[in-house]
Amino acid sequence: MAWDHNLDLEETRRLLDQRRPRRVGIVGQPPRAVIAELNSRAIEILDLDAMLVREDIEATVTILPRVYCAILRTVVLNALHLDLEAIVIDTGPGKCDSARYVATILKEQLTIPVLTTVNLDRESCGYPYCRAELDLIEKFQAITEGVKIARPPAAPPAPCHPTAGFWGVPPRDFSILAPFPATTHVYGWTRCLENKTPTDLDLEMQINPAVPMVFFAQSFCAKTALARHLARQHPHALCLDIDLHTTSSAKAKVQAFLELSGVAP
Amino acid sequence: MILADFGTSYSKFLDLAEPDPQPRILPTKELSRDLRVDLATGHNGKRFSGRYVNELVALARGAAALIAEPSYLVLDCGSRDIKYIRYQDGKLLDMGWNAECGASMGFTIELLERYYNLDFSRLAVPEKTFSVTCGVLGISDIFDAITSGAGEAEAVARFVKGIAVNAHRFAGSPEKLYLSGGLCDNPLFVKSFPCQVEPLGRFVLLTGLRHTSDR
Repeated sequence: MAWDHNLDLEETRRLLDQRRPRRVGIVGQPPRAVIAELNSRAIEILDLDAMLVREDIEATVTILPRVYCAILRTVVLNALHLDLEAIVIDTGPGKCDSARYVATILKEQLTIPVLTTVNLDRESCGYPYCRAELDLIEKFQAITEGVKIARPPAAPPAPCHPTAGFWGVPPRDFSILAPFPATTHVYGWTRCLENKTPTDLDLEMQINPAVPMVFFAQSFCAKTALARHLARQHPHALCLDIDLHTTSSAKAKVQAFLELSGVAP
Repeated sequence: MILADFGTSYSKFLDLAEPDPQPRILPTKELSRDLRVDLATGHNGKRFSGRYVNELVALARGAAALIAEPSYLVLDCGSRDIKYIRYQDGKLLDMGWNAECGASMGFTIELLERYYNLDFSRLAVPEKTFSVTCGVLGISDIFDAITSGAGEAEAVARFVKGIAVNAHRFAGSPEKLYLSGGLCDNPLFVKSFPCQVEPLGRFVLLTGLRHTSDR
């Protein structure tokens, strides 16, 4: 069955016309046209993939198994505790099967509308923050904030020469990013995210063999297979998966890897 | 200058101000809270010093000082965790640190030695082994084997072999490895590895600290 790409936008418009929400949660990266529609109506967008509430993650165990992607557990936690009027979840190949199931569950659990989209956007918007000289946590904050805005940044930062690489998705717990130098380039799905093309597997698989790279995936995520596969091809790699929080051994592994690889802090 | 490797069960000290510095070992539970050293590593290191060296970095520097080869793998088996570093042609190739699933293996071996009053130097490597990925969970296998008629010493030996096999697999199943940590003193553990093992002793991280202090 071929997806009608315009259906997402039509459904979104119908929902927005009927409900006139002021606050909408998004999961993954819905199509750019959908985000543009939300932006044009000045609707507040909350990225439910991020940690937005200080509630106990155990509140999700009645809905999801404990051994499940920590990002999607966070989505459910946010959905249960935030005052939202609608949720738009991308369930296309740029996200994952698990998100599709979570969307199905949330449709039945919540009283607000839960709209699913299939983002197949191919128009590149560039990935300047992935290549900028900037504290890595700030870099990820800028990229993930960008998901809520259809337009690419008006004044993108200039690229720098990389000294290290970070491949993967935006981690649930950004503290794993702290040991990296500001000259770390970002690769993997995060690059697709900034480029606003989440299904671009060629872009996601790009690596840089000239610098030491950490290949990161959330525990229990299908991307752990791709992370290991690419790490095996890289001459100087560390493969890492983290669940809910960055453990002291995970952080120490990254610190040691960078220090022993001669990467200046 | 006092250097220390603060492990979970034992802490190792080296006082460079002494004429012929020799390492000393103290049980970590006996340390005073007010103790302060100049340079520390290990699980508890940050509590006792303002200057801390990452355990993997200390392991790498210690191994580099003790091993006269450009390509090697060093595996550190401690009370609480296992970690390894692999160098190829003098360059870091791979590393791993298992503090969760490999937890408490060394601690559990010592506990079993005391509980069953065993002498590991007298135990032969058993034919059979348990599939052990966690020291605490592996104890159930010992109890089950004893219930099924195995002797206590035989059951514990299978457990120890299981830990060695698991650690070897965790390190990528090398043909040869250099072993670091307190388990170097356990002959049954050393002989249970399915590969060539060169024990380096329990002061590799201290050696790494010494080379850090020289910098």
